[in-house]
Amino acid sequence: MKSGLAALALLPVMASADMAPIPAAQQAYLLGCGGCHGIDGVSNSQIVPDLKDQVGWFLNLPEGRRYLARLPNVAFSTNTDQELAALLNYAVFTLGGSSVPQGAKPYTAREVGELRKQPLTETALFQYRSKMVETLVADYRAAPSLRRYGEDMYGSKNQ
Amino acid sequence: MKSPFDKMSERVTRKLASYSSRRSFLSRFGTAIVAAPAAFPLLPVARAKAAEPQGTPQTDFERYSQDSDPTKCSYWKYCASDGVLCSCCGGGSHTCPPGAEPSPISWIGTCVNPKDGKSYVIAYRDCCGKPVCSAGKSCWCDGADRELPTYRAQLNNDIIWCFGNASATYHCSTAALVGLAG
Repeated sequence: MKSGLAALALLPVMASADMAPIPAAQQAYLLGCGGCHGIDGVSNSQIVPDLKDQVGWFLNLPEGRRYLARLPNVAFSTNTDQELAALLNYAVFTLGGSSVPQGAKPYTAREVGELRKQPLTETALFQYRSKMVETLVADYRAAPSLRRYGEDMYGSKNQ
Repeated sequence: MKSPFDKMSERVTRKLASYSSRRSFLSRFGTAIVAAPAAFPLLPVARAKAAEPQGTPQTDFERYSQDSDPTKCSYWKYCASDGVLCSCCGGGSHTCPPGAEPSPISWIGTCVNPKDGKSYVIAYRDCCGKPVCSAGKSCWCDGADRELPTYRAQLNNDIIWCFGNASATYHCSTAALVGLAG
């Protein structure tokens, strides 16, 4: 988090002529998700789940892959299926980095279009996620830091 | 007595009337009117709009924004800043005053830089952990470009983003440049 903020603080001294335009998928992520999840996929890990080097773990489970596209703010986004698939692929494969399982396939517009028709609006989202996280940590050697979301500042569950 | 011109006009008119109905004339005329603006803008407003160079101000804020004084609400990066400017409180346009912590959670929007007419991605971070800064009235801003209501919380500027900090007390607002919008 600190390194991300430090990098951000440096940006205003750059001349605009030096800047390359932000790619479309990254910009969609920034405007739709980056405020809370952080520009680099990390903000307050206890309040907002980290994406950086973590979100890719969910692709180990078919349910986890579906879960990411069915999350309400993802499913209800104003982006088209094509744009949303690109956004998800940026968040999972670029920000998710080392957590992405080998051979995992990118989301397609068609897949995202189907999944967003089934938003997770009738679910206790935190418990839904926690159950998958325990499976991922136990069976897929996912980083225990996935459990940080929902902990209070002393490390115990507050939800 | 009819002049030769009158006779010719009458002949032409009668001939026209014998093979064309008013309805067909109206239909062709209507089609021409609808199709015309594509090739020839009928209203001067449409012509003026087409002649606008890229980067022409689209909002009131953009019309009067400047890029030289970050202690004024009209500074271009504050197009959607809602709160007291940290640059009036011992901090900068994108840095917190001593003793205040930047919020890790923020919202992200875009502002147009009047210098080059380009759109930039901006992260609106609050600085937290100290009582609200007591700067003068001119440092309290309410920019609202491309901001959305609270039901689209990720693009709303009314929320105090200090809830992710150790202390949720709001001190002031910053606007950090993230990059050039694509």
